[in-house]
Amino acid sequence: MNRRVRDFRRLLTGLAYLLPNIAGFCAFTLVPLALSFAMAFTNWDILRHNRFRQEPLHWAGLENFARLLADPQFWRDLGNTLFFTLGLPFAIAGSLGAALLLTRVSRRRTALGPALVVATLVLVASAAVLLAGGLAQRGVLVLGGTMAAAVLVAGVVTGGTIYRTLFYLPHFTAGVATFVLWKKLYNPHTGPFNTALAPVLDGLSAVVRGAPGFFTYGVPVLCGAAALAAALWQGRRLRRRWADGEAGSAAIVTGTLTLGGPLGLFLHWQGQGGWVAGGAGAAVVAGLGGWILRQPRCWGPRRAADTGLGAELSLALAGVPLLLLLAGGLLLGPALPALAATGLEPPNWLGDYAWAKPALMLMALWAAIGSNSMILYLAGLSNIPPELYEAADMDGASAMQRFWHITWPQLAPITFFIAVMGVINGLQGGFEMARTMTQGGPAGSTTTLSYFIFTQGFETGRLGYASAIAWVLFGLVLVFSLLNFRFGNRDVND
Amino acid sequence: MKRVFLLSLLGLLVATGALHWTRPENRSPVPVLHWMTQNDPVKRETIALFRQWLVDQGLPPAEVQIDHSNQDVTKKLVQGVSGVGGDLIDLYFSELEMMQATGMLADVTDEAVRAGYGPGTTYAAVRSDFMVAGRQYGYPRNVDVTMCWVNRDTFARYGQPEPPARWDWDEFEARGKRFVAAANPPGTRRRVYYLNRVWPYVLRRGLGLSTYNETMTRCTLDDPRNVEVLRRLYRWTVEERLMPTTADQAAMAADGTAFDSSFGLFAAGRFAMVYEGLWALIRLRPLGDFQLGAVEPFTGGFPNTELGSGAVAVYRGAKHPELARQFLRFLASEPFSLLVARSGDSLPPLPAYAEHPAFLQPPGFAGDWGAKAAFARAGREIGIATSKSPYALPRVVFLIDNQTIEAVLAGRLTPAAAAREAAQRINAELALTLRQDPALRRQYDAACERQRQIDARRAAGRPVPAAWISDPFHLAYYRAQGWLEPEAAP
Repeated sequence: MNRRVRDFRRLLTGLAYLLPNIAGFCAFTLVPLALSFAMAFTNWDILRHNRFRQEPLHWAGLENFARLLADPQFWRDLGNTLFFTLGLPFAIAGSLGAALLLTRVSRRRTALGPALVVATLVLVASAAVLLAGGLAQRGVLVLGGTMAAAVLVAGVVTGGTIYRTLFYLPHFTAGVATFVLWKKLYNPHTGPFNTALAPVLDGLSAVVRGAPGFFTYGVPVLCGAAALAAALWQGRRLRRRWADGEAGSAAIVTGTLTLGGPLGLFLHWQGQGGWVAGGAGAAVVAGLGGWILRQPRCWGPRRAADTGLGAELSLALAGVPLLLLLAGGLLLGPALPALAATGLEPPNWLGDYAWAKPALMLMALWAAIGSNSMILYLAGLSNIPPELYEAADMDGASAMQRFWHITWPQLAPITFFIAVMGVINGLQGGFEMARTMTQGGPAGSTTTLSYFIFTQGFETGRLGYASAIAWVLFGLVLVFSLLNFRFGNRDVND
Repeated sequence: MKRVFLLSLLGLLVATGALHWTRPENRSPVPVLHWMTQNDPVKRETIALFRQWLVDQGLPPAEVQIDHSNQDVTKKLVQGVSGVGGDLIDLYFSELEMMQATGMLADVTDEAVRAGYGPGTTYAAVRSDFMVAGRQYGYPRNVDVTMCWVNRDTFARYGQPEPPARWDWDEFEARGKRFVAAANPPGTRRRVYYLNRVWPYVLRRGLGLSTYNETMTRCTLDDPRNVEVLRRLYRWTVEERLMPTTADQAAMAADGTAFDSSFGLFAAGRFAMVYEGLWALIRLRPLGDFQLGAVEPFTGGFPNTELGSGAVAVYRGAKHPELARQFLRFLASEPFSLLVARSGDSLPPLPAYAEHPAFLQPPGFAGDWGAKAAFARAGREIGIATSKSPYALPRVVFLIDNQTIEAVLAGRLTPAAAAREAAQRINAELALTLRQDPALRRQYDAACERQRQIDARRAAGRPVPAAWISDPFHLAYYRAQGWLEPEAAP
């Protein structure tokens, strides 16, 4: 057999292996993708264009897109989707934290291992029996506590292996099963969260009633002071980075928006209206910009406008939620005494407009911490050369310094990858979660763009319009990804 | 590696073959109909009775398989237009128009009249639930009115009086406030509600308002009467907490929909009343032995309730269309109506059986005899069919209405803004339908002209011919007010 025939046969064999995948890709991805693109420019309606009814299809041009931009539901659902992506920095921090903790767990095994495992199993079984026997709500607490203790003991016994498995559990648990489980956890009347929160809130109510002055004045002052300190720190930081040539104009604007955005939202919450809120936010941006420009070396060394933008974007992702939390404290503090007078109620997690989104975010955060991100970080941590830490130890670096100057920069490529994937998944996701847990409610507060696409496509049959929304979503994902690649990976190759 | 690959492929092929072989239609010696419906005891009894009916009629035997996992409207729609729908499809509330619009439902008009299951055999008021534009696409398997079910045990537990058979919304509010105060003393964590929900249409109709005008050419929800309805709903749900919000109820239903959970919560005494049809008996009977009553829904003046039917339609791509049609014929038969009468699954499709002792006093269920009489009376006296405009999909209108009400309950919109938004969005739907389906335009223009004539007559205080009015509520309301021309009145 000559070489050409042999090569040809090998090529055929290779293609035969690949054929199922290629066929699947074409049938279920490529063709639908092309079809949906074409549909976005037509009036395709499942009610009038299907195998039983074949009315002529009309070219709609950009009509679907124009209608989309004028559709208030689209903007509301886009807002919801973007809100959910705000959980990304917390998810990154959580997975990194989990990975760091897991690398520190001792792998030594103890001789009492089997005995401890049996003991914990007995404890768990006892709690389950108590629960089944009518211990009711307290049984849930007992069971939860016992299981936590069991996990702790089992982790020590197995040298941390069980921790790795448990942390990764959310990733290989079926999504819908997880959502149903969390729905039970969030049950306002019988869920373990509220069962555990109820006595805590009763205690807190008593404390608030005992010292109303502290909550009316003290908490707002503390939150305000913390927000002010954060703002000053950010201002000083921006000024230093500008002076050192580490930040360009785009980075400075982004950094100041980190302060102006939450302030604007705070005013908006207080009913100050969009103009006042926008004006206040703009004033902060202008004030900080002006302050920097008034410095003796305001222009400093030459730099590109986007210098340091990645760092500012990352900081904004963490800083904005923090400032919003402080703003929330500022508002909530004075309201607490009145609420506590009749007793503080645990939240109606999925039924309350204000709580539904954070509740879903919390669940998504739990899932994201124990996801592939944690595995990637674990792999990344094991690849950091130990000589770097040894050198740092010799220089007398503290644990925090070791983290900021060695671990974090060394993990930059992984963080960048996780951030890109997180933004993409965040923008595309949310459908299963909302469909299972809240049906997109209450009042559309948990309806994401993917859910909106489903509603338009399959509940009203407007496939052309639904395709247009899907392609706009694709455009958004593309823009965010390009921004990420342009500005987010600046430190990756440093 | 090649062997592993080939073995895997072979394994998959064998598994596919095995799956195909185990499908009911391949294993059964007789034709199998797939029925997209709920899997409950009555449906299983219905199937057994159908088999027997086929034997009695001297027809060849057949099997019916319940497909309960695909009864969601989106699944019915997508599977139907893809050519893999069930032979028999259950249609609820606002689904008929959507399914019919796709062309996937078989038109049985001529055959129905010939075979004895035409529209004349059942309640005239529910024709819009199985007919579109004068053509028949199915047959009702039940006819239902919605009432407030009363759990007498719950009222007794809290020492509260039961509501009267007919009441107005002020009375509802006063009694409800007293009830929740008694049932939820300070410190109570598990809230007990007075009622699970109420349809806004009934409240609007109580004030003489419908979703549409008389000719259903314009949405009228921006009317101040609707603002008042929304204001009341907000007060009862958010301020007084006599009823839970939909989201509240969904949150309480940890492992089912809000709808499914309401029966369990009613049986457990968490809802003193539930607002459902007579068919609720199917769900309530297995939950225990408790004393039931039924009262009319409260209104702001004009007593009314929703009258509707659950219909069964034949899929146009059915594998056994003739057999599927026989099933519809069976639904119009005496044995089936007697089964419905006995089981409590709403009013039997043949009206005469609503007066039958098997319906009014079913043996073994003395607890609900009184309730059944109340349902039969409401069906006769105050039941009105749903308003469905031919110029907008009822399902889309339902979604819009729901969204704006939810926005009010969540504090996102004021009642006035929500009423405006609902009318604006529904009217935009009407405009969109007319733009997409120009064939409707002539009919619409004629209806608008008729509307102008109605308005002129009403302004002049003159009566209106009944034939001019297409909205079922307006027809009933005009009749009750004496605004119809004498020759058109029954």
